[in-house]
Amino acid sequence: MLIIVMAAVYALAFVASKKKLKTRGIPGLERIDDWIKEAAKLKRPVFYTPGTGSIGSSDTLASLALLGYVAKHCAEHDAQILVANSDSQVQQITEDIVKTAYAKAGKEDKFSTDMVRYISTRQFAFAAGVMGILRREKPAVNFFVGDFQAESLQLAETGRTEAIYQFGGTTNLDQLPFFATTCDQTLMGEELYTATGFLSENEEEISRLVGPDAGKILAILLILAGAVLVTLGTTVLIDILGL
Amino acid sequence: MSSEKKKMTRGDLGLQIIIFGLGFFYAIIYYIAIPGTVDLQAASDQLLAYITAVLTAGFAIGVINLTRVHWINIKRKRTTWRYSIILLVSLYSMLVFSVIASPFALDPNAVFIPASVIQFSTPIWEFLYYKILVNINASVFSLLAFFIASAAYRAFKAKTLESTILLVAGVLVILGQAPIADLMWPGFSIIRDWILAFPNTAGQRGILIGAALGIVVFSVRRLIRYPW
Repeated sequence: MLIIVMAAVYALAFVASKKKLKTRGIPGLERIDDWIKEAAKLKRPVFYTPGTGSIGSSDTLASLALLGYVAKHCAEHDAQILVANSDSQVQQITEDIVKTAYAKAGKEDKFSTDMVRYISTRQFAFAAGVMGILRREKPAVNFFVGDFQAESLQLAETGRTEAIYQFGGTTNLDQLPFFATTCDQTLMGEELYTATGFLSENEEEISRLVGPDAGKILAILLILAGAVLVTLGTTVLIDILGL
Repeated sequence: MSSEKKKMTRGDLGLQIIIFGLGFFYAIIYYIAIPGTVDLQAASDQLLAYITAVLTAGFAIGVINLTRVHWINIKRKRTTWRYSIILLVSLYSMLVFSVIASPFALDPNAVFIPASVIQFSTPIWEFLYYKILVNINASVFSLLAFFIASAAYRAFKAKTLESTILLVAGVLVILGQAPIADLMWPGFSIIRDWILAFPNTAGQRGILIGAALGIVVFSVRRLIRYPW
């Protein structure tokens, strides 16, 4: 079942890649570039954290893709980027992403190792460390995108006092309301996984956004069919899906 | 990510084959039990043990980064250099006492480390862990209550239609949750249950289904295509 769904979703995305597609867009995503430019003008840093998840977390991986975009634009506009990590493996990867972004922009000399910092694996030690950075270094733009737990509100509320703009994003349902309250823009749920597709001008990348949408239509159809069938007194769909 | 199309190098191709092979190996092992002389489950467990070893080694790199960043702070006498001293002293003293006297000590039977050193270090480690670290952790966590109050104040400002709906729903749920609510009017707890069971659950499930599908497609994309 899983393989069939994955194959169907991917096949659809592949077929769609042959066509030019329009996207509905995610509000606020296109403003990231302007925010970074403003931070550069003010000579204040841009702060980014992928949260407290490990490298095995999907939210962390999605966040790393967005970090590539943010770091690239920071390098291009000469805005200093500060990245804080809670996981030592994520630390190594984020360091490489930021370093590569600066190298691609031809500004390798502007990259320094203290731009990407390892804080602590302990959740609240990490929260305290990040709150300290937000207070001391006063970033103009804060990105809290990735895997967050109870520390999300502490970080976002502290960032709120100094930052001009805040950008949040997670799939953790318990933390989403906190980001929605304290951030100017929030990536909710699946938007986190599709954000880089929207930001890209690459048609092939945009076409891959069809996959989750196709899966969603399939899920909606299954839910509707299941509701109708159960109302009619048959459990045939439940039996087929092995629920 | 970028608009320009990249050409795949041999190195990229090799990496893609490894990523694809390992990723789908784990997916197949998870979903399908393959009978045979080679125990694939044991092989996957063994691989996971190697991954754990690699991840543990990676932890040391985190400590090196932390030391480097704060050493630079001290060397250049940046505004917060005094905090960096406290951090480095705390980090390395905890490291030393944990290696000697914690439940995860390297030599608990005093084969290499003299027993007197372990005896001397144990109360110090206990003090550092239970009297300082645990309490600081709890203090930082409890700050959350104050942050929730300020965030709730901002969220519940009835400026737009959406925030007014949020405010009304929030007040009704809070009232329904309060012990005095049923004495005031039994309808509060019925309204609370309805809000939590229907609009709230429907919204959460919508986000969950979308996120789950997003994860599937995102993971497959990561397995199939390198560089990301």
